[in-house]
Amino acid sequence: MKKFSQMAIPYIVWSILMLVLPMALIAFYSVTQPGNSIISFSVTLEHYVKFFTDADFLIILWRSLWIAFKTTIICLLIGYPVAYYISHCQERVQNILVFCITMPMWINMLVRTYAWIGLLSQDGLIQRLLKMLGLGNTELLYTEGAVLLGMVYNFIPFMILQINTTLCKMDDSLLEAAADLGADSIQAFGRVTLPLSIPGVVNGITLVFLPAVSSFFIPKLLGGGKYFLIGNVIENQFITVGEWNFGSAISMIIAVIMMLLMMCVHKAEARNQGGKEEA
Amino acid sequence: MKKRKRPVLKALMALMIVFFYLPIIYMIVFSFNEGKSLTVFTGLSLRWYQHMLETGGMLEALYTTFSVAVIASFISTVVGTFTAIGLSKSKKLIRDLMEQVDNLPMMNPEIVTAIGLMLLFITFRVEKGYITMLLAHIAFCIPYVILSVMPKIRSLDPDLADAAMDLGATPWQALMKVIIPQIMPGIVSGGLIAFTMSVDDFIISYFVTGGGVKNLSIMVYTMSRRINPSINAASTLMIGIITIVLLIINVGPLFAAKRQKREKERKKILLPAALAAVCAAGCIVFVRFGDMQEKRPFEGEILHIYNWGEYTGENIIGDFEEDTGAKVILENYDSNEQMYIKVANGESYDILVPSDYMIQRLILEEYLQKLDHTKLTCMDKLTDAVKGLSYDPENAYSIPYFWGTVGIVYDKNKVDVESLEQEGFNIFLNEKYQGDIYLYDSERDSFMMALKALGYSMNTEDAKELDEAYEWLVRCVETMEPEIVTDEIIDNMAQGRRALGLMYSGDAAYVMAENENMGFYLPKTGTNLWSDAMVIPKNAKNPELAHAFINFASDYEGAYDNSSYVGYTSANQEVMDVLSGPGGDFEGISAYIPRTDCEFDEVFVYNEKTRKEISNMWSRVKIVASNANPSKH
Amino acid sequence: MEEKKLIEFRNIVKSFDGQIVLKGVNLDIYENEFVTLLGPSGCGKTTLLRILGGFIDADEGKIIFKGEEINHKPPYKRELNTVFQKYALFPHLNVYENIAFGLKINKISKDVIDQKVMKMLKLIGLEGFEGKNITLLSGGQQQRVAIARALVNEPKVLLLDEPLAALDLKLRQEMQYELKRIQQEVGITFIFVTHDQEEALTMSDKIVVMKNGEIQQVGTPQEIYNEPANRYVANFIGESNIISGVMLEDYKVWFDDLVFDCVDFGFKKREQVDVVIRPEDIDIVGKEKGKMTGEVRSVLFKGVHYEVMVETIPGTQVTVNMQVIRSHDAVSEDGKEKISATNFYVDLEDVKSLDDKEVVARSNAQAWNPETDDYISISRIEFDVREEEGQYPVLFSTSNGTSIERTIFVVNQPFVSNEKANEAVMAFNFQTTAEEIRESQALDTDMKTWASAQAWKLSDESQSVDISVDYDFEPENVAEGVYRITFSTMGREFKIHTTDYIKEGQEVGLTFFPEDIHVMSRMVY
Repeated sequence: MKKFSQMAIPYIVWSILMLVLPMALIAFYSVTQPGNSIISFSVTLEHYVKFFTDADFLIILWRSLWIAFKTTIICLLIGYPVAYYISHCQERVQNILVFCITMPMWINMLVRTYAWIGLLSQDGLIQRLLKMLGLGNTELLYTEGAVLLGMVYNFIPFMILQINTTLCKMDDSLLEAAADLGADSIQAFGRVTLPLSIPGVVNGITLVFLPAVSSFFIPKLLGGGKYFLIGNVIENQFITVGEWNFGSAISMIIAVIMMLLMMCVHKAEARNQGGKEEA
Repeated sequence: MKKRKRPVLKALMALMIVFFYLPIIYMIVFSFNEGKSLTVFTGLSLRWYQHMLETGGMLEALYTTFSVAVIASFISTVVGTFTAIGLSKSKKLIRDLMEQVDNLPMMNPEIVTAIGLMLLFITFRVEKGYITMLLAHIAFCIPYVILSVMPKIRSLDPDLADAAMDLGATPWQALMKVIIPQIMPGIVSGGLIAFTMSVDDFIISYFVTGGGVKNLSIMVYTMSRRINPSINAASTLMIGIITIVLLIINVGPLFAAKRQKREKERKKILLPAALAAVCAAGCIVFVRFGDMQEKRPFEGEILHIYNWGEYTGENIIGDFEEDTGAKVILENYDSNEQMYIKVANGESYDILVPSDYMIQRLILEEYLQKLDHTKLTCMDKLTDAVKGLSYDPENAYSIPYFWGTVGIVYDKNKVDVESLEQEGFNIFLNEKYQGDIYLYDSERDSFMMALKALGYSMNTEDAKELDEAYEWLVRCVETMEPEIVTDEIIDNMAQGRRALGLMYSGDAAYVMAENENMGFYLPKTGTNLWSDAMVIPKNAKNPELAHAFINFASDYEGAYDNSSYVGYTSANQEVMDVLSGPGGDFEGISAYIPRTDCEFDEVFVYNEKTRKEISNMWSRVKIVASNANPSKH
Repeated sequence: MEEKKLIEFRNIVKSFDGQIVLKGVNLDIYENEFVTLLGPSGCGKTTLLRILGGFIDADEGKIIFKGEEINHKPPYKRELNTVFQKYALFPHLNVYENIAFGLKINKISKDVIDQKVMKMLKLIGLEGFEGKNITLLSGGQQQRVAIARALVNEPKVLLLDEPLAALDLKLRQEMQYELKRIQQEVGITFIFVTHDQEEALTMSDKIVVMKNGEIQQVGTPQEIYNEPANRYVANFIGESNIISGVMLEDYKVWFDDLVFDCVDFGFKKREQVDVVIRPEDIDIVGKEKGKMTGEVRSVLFKGVHYEVMVETIPGTQVTVNMQVIRSHDAVSEDGKEKISATNFYVDLEDVKSLDDKEVVARSNAQAWNPETDDYISISRIEFDVREEEGQYPVLFSTSNGTSIERTIFVVNQPFVSNEKANEAVMAFNFQTTAEEIRESQALDTDMKTWASAQAWKLSDESQSVDISVDYDFEPENVAEGVYRITFSTMGREFKIHTTDYIKEGQEVGLTFFPEDIHVMSRMVY
């Protein structure tokens, strides 16, 4: 079998080059000054200090986490029932519905988000509908609500698909067992279905929260220029301000925060699931 | 157990489907709209498809999107599959370690991965472009393939390969004839995931691309500021291609399943998928290269232009390509600073169109080459007002493109001219208009406005005056709830959505031409008299062709096309006269002819120290603004 | 045992996707019984159990539980609990929580739950396991937890759906006693589904044998074993010799050309019947003392006993000539290809079905490279056979043109039929080479192919009968010449379990008592 294991070697080299090295470079940039090279540099923590001593950056970081949190909760609250519904359909219908949900993902995210601009803008379809319902002339585009909507729109398929997968994998006999032991359908859901779908929920949360925190085109497209999230700050540092070192430091910070958060979530899941089968 | 009907869930599911498809259908519908509006359907037309075909950039973006996706998903599927098989036979330590490494792009925010790759390419001086984009896509696709193939390998009987070899197969045969067919479902789904990720990607592509290579996402992102229904057309085309591919993949086997057994159809998925992808790519290649023609002076040469978004006429690029046989790659930026960073990073362009102060800076930092005036035929066609300006007194480096001022566009029904005359730029602090104003996202012009409102020079180096200007802006964003926008201000003001907005004169001219209720006012305390000019960087690959383009764009026809389409004041005297004269597009529109008689008007001067300060302060103002009223409604 | 009806199935019909799984089942189950539903997979036993559990609805019929129809009661309202085939233990809960699940649902107070769970753990012998992760338990332990989880709710009936299927043999036997013990201890009705007759016999008070959605027989294990209702039940339960016979009159049955005394009565005169004699009920005695005689064909050691096969009526046989000829390869001009084939016989009736593949197989045609021994494919086979007796040429050639011609003999081969044994045998003369015989890896099978030997039931020609081959040459030293090969079927054989060793080939007598004969109605298919 020696021969087969050698097939992994090219990729190991590649992944060190393309996956590990970039992270190392970000770390390197984040602790050096502009103009430093790999040969001669001086380590500094000033970029980190700058970030953490500035209330405005911290507020943006907080807001990014907060809106990602809200996005995740909304995706979960809507996505779970939808996934539940799908998993209880006939297999053929299930396939069609899953296809319906995956299909938009094949169409570029930017394109899909762009489509919302027309829908949300003044005199757009939704505004006109609201007006017809007598809900007045509220501004929709370039608000936090629009950003939230864009994020939910873009990320909810991940949630639905993840939860649906675990629900489908679940052994029907477990539900029968619950019914057999006296649980009606609501009790069976609360005591069996829900706890057993936690791994899917956790995966879904990861897949929604992660891109939501760092998204920068959704706030830019739907939030107008003034709705800043941490992703926009990073983009700004690299694309317009040119402070790569500071930008790298922010990237490091966000990467570390996400890693810690994900570790917490998975720890909590592991504790919750005591002896769950590895699916 | 019997499945009961769940009406609430059913309704939710239906709503979900509507939610998913409403924007897509909306976009498809409006791609056939006759008018430019994204909200009012005025009639059926294929105008935007035609526009898309003519401008070319869109098709190229589609081509890039799909060709990168097909190549990247193919390579990553092959590499990922073999790697997964290899890893499954490797030592546990290596396997666990690689699992962690593979998790990097999946557990990291995408923007971090993107920046990492960008830094990697820059550090190792790999020229950013198609290849870097492809490499990056392969890099983030492989982990998904491995993730999808690995479980299938784990569930395989570990003796399979041994059994095959025991029966006389070579390891390679054992792999191809036994293992690969067994894990085919995993490989196919891995490939599909990779394809989806690649087609869907924006963030990583955005950071690692260069040289004008754009996929559809980048295209949409850089063009989304102004309404451009061509985006809808391109998107619809993309949806069409994707739908066909998906239908072939998903529905094909459904029909086949009726006749065939499950096992066989698996293999059949790959073929139509690959065929469809190849067809799609082929179509685009055909459209792209289908129009090769006979010999012309610059046949087959390439001109890289890095210009502002929406800053070229409808036909000028096409005409230039037609005349010279050269191919123009047009890349857009939305601020001088963004352009500067790319240029300073050594990206090569043939023509840039920076503003005055940025030209000064580029000259100072020796990024520009002197123009060869013997090759230029346009000098005497230019209006005097833009020749020999302080940033380049001899026009040794730059040929003006557009010029103008910065002023206030106002809704005549909401704002009276008296209060404008009284307050000047300070009207942006008048609480009467709270929540009814637009600021422009430009550090220079925002500070210009504040400094002029305070009665200072906009080129001041006095820290105290700059601080005051900063306070002025902070006060504005904290009390007035302004929207800080870029080009989207144009369409919004044209539709009268706000009472006041800070705007370039050229954009104002367009707004006034669209909406007669709009007026343009230049405060008496002075404003920024700016000009954008064409320059050739030192690292230009084709200065010869660049000179030809400068001549072409400054000539009557080119300049007329530019100015009439974009609305900015042409540097060509004749064009300016014709357009503002009787019967011209901008007859009677004051904003078209820049003010040249106010003593307080100034041209920006480059100063490294104040630039940095202003840049920092402005990004701070924006953060304050976003923190002041994050959720307005 | 208290004779109180607990559950009544009334004419239960169920079909899935148009396929009828239960064809009107009627069954009564009494209190405190250990009832086993026994049958092969697909017989409908699990479906019946699931209908009782409430997981699927019957299409027709009534389920009555304690005098009350429960057809439309959801499972969580039925006073019975189920142990599922793969246990369906909740992976997210530990042992204690799994067992307590039903009690918690019913809002029993915490201390009562505690008590009951502990009692259950004791009953199943898993004290101290309450905090364990259930996925880490062994199969047998999981099994016990599943039983405890069901029993703790004090159901009137416990349904067990093949619960022992996933366990290994030793554990399975252990659990059989364990289950019986638990049933006796808690004193409730167990309904147990299995396909394992040994399990059924060991544990049950009552066995319900099912086949194709119908009940074949209901009875105690003894009744089922000793007095199977029909051939199917007899075959399914234990080992048996089943012979078709005729009931002459009460207490007199005829089979194998002999009349025997028996204890059965109530059949019509001269009714066609099946007769069962269990292998352990037959005794081997001296040739002259037996009720029937035969030759010992095989003796297998089975541990506690020998399994002896005695042939009482010889099989049907046919003898053909095997002509061993000299090697007759054809060699190509360059010597790089060799091709060989033999003449063969074919029955007039089989001419129709003679295709290329068949011709190659019968003539044993092959081509190879003599230097490397690699096989070369025979690319062309030309033959022209009519449905008429005679000799026809056949030509085999490779793609390089190396060829060989042979003859197909079309004959009207008579077959040997044996009315008594209800079978017929046929075989053809054939040619082969000494080399073929020497190199054959499975000579018996090859000779059957070469001779096209076949045997079938006279009553049903599509049903083939095994043939054995007999010859008296040594394959290693076979020379050119003609040899006689006998193909024969097995005759009537009796299986006998005995503790005494008997030599193969010995002539023995068989005897049994009238009460060892069990006469059953002939099954109608």
